[in-house]
Amino acid sequence: MEERIYDLIFICRPDTPEAEVDKLIALLEQTAAERGGRVEKAEKWGTRKLAYRVRRHREGYYVYLVVHGTRGDMIQEMERRLKVADPVIKYLTVRLDDELKRQRKLAQRRERRAARRTRKPKSAAAAQQAAS
Amino acid sequence: MTDELKPQSDPPAEGAVQERARAAATPASARRSKRQFFRKKKVCRFCADRIDFIDYKNVELLQPFIQERGKIVPRRMSGTCSRHQRWLKIAIKRARNIALLPFASEI
Repeated sequence: MEERIYDLIFICRPDTPEAEVDKLIALLEQTAAERGGRVEKAEKWGTRKLAYRVRRHREGYYVYLVVHGTRGDMIQEMERRLKVADPVIKYLTVRLDDELKRQRKLAQRRERRAARRTRKPKSAAAAQQAAS
Repeated sequence: MTDELKPQSDPPAEGAVQERARAAATPASARRSKRQFFRKKKVCRFCADRIDFIDYKNVELLQPFIQERGKIVPRRMSGTCSRHQRWLKIAIKRARNIALLPFASEI
């Protein structure tokens, strides 16, 4: 089965110690590894303002992960872990491989079209030469 | 319909027909130039920038497309093409879900 790419963002309480966040990331990495996936990238965005209040918090510590995997139960388990984790106030998982595929396709098509546009005048000139 | 209400020497219905005929007779370019006075053609920003993927994490990109109260700016105002508006909509909704953008901002 083709590998799937997910974006996983979770928000911790702003007063969470850094060590706790690292522990959470490690836990998720382990969970992914157990289920045949891997955490490709882990970024700590740090504390930023929330657009609305979440569990009475106005700020949150954002952590962004890119996860690769093939099994659906991997994400299920990761989300369950986040749900039960104490410092986490919100999380979101987005499957992105389809969109990235579409992006590549569109970029390719544009490239091809650009190539055709530059080639066309030349081929037309060649046709004219052949006619004469 | 409003044309017919104006007092005219001709019968009102005939006047309206003449009006329409005159509009058809004027060259298209002239009519467009007149319309340009109050309506400018808007171009889809994403098409102009050749964007194939609207990232929901890029708040600065999405910010111009939400109103003060957090509403999504309609196409007729932003000039976004239908395809990019669709992607934009999805991106904004994702960003809202993770508290990067508001559902409805206070104030």
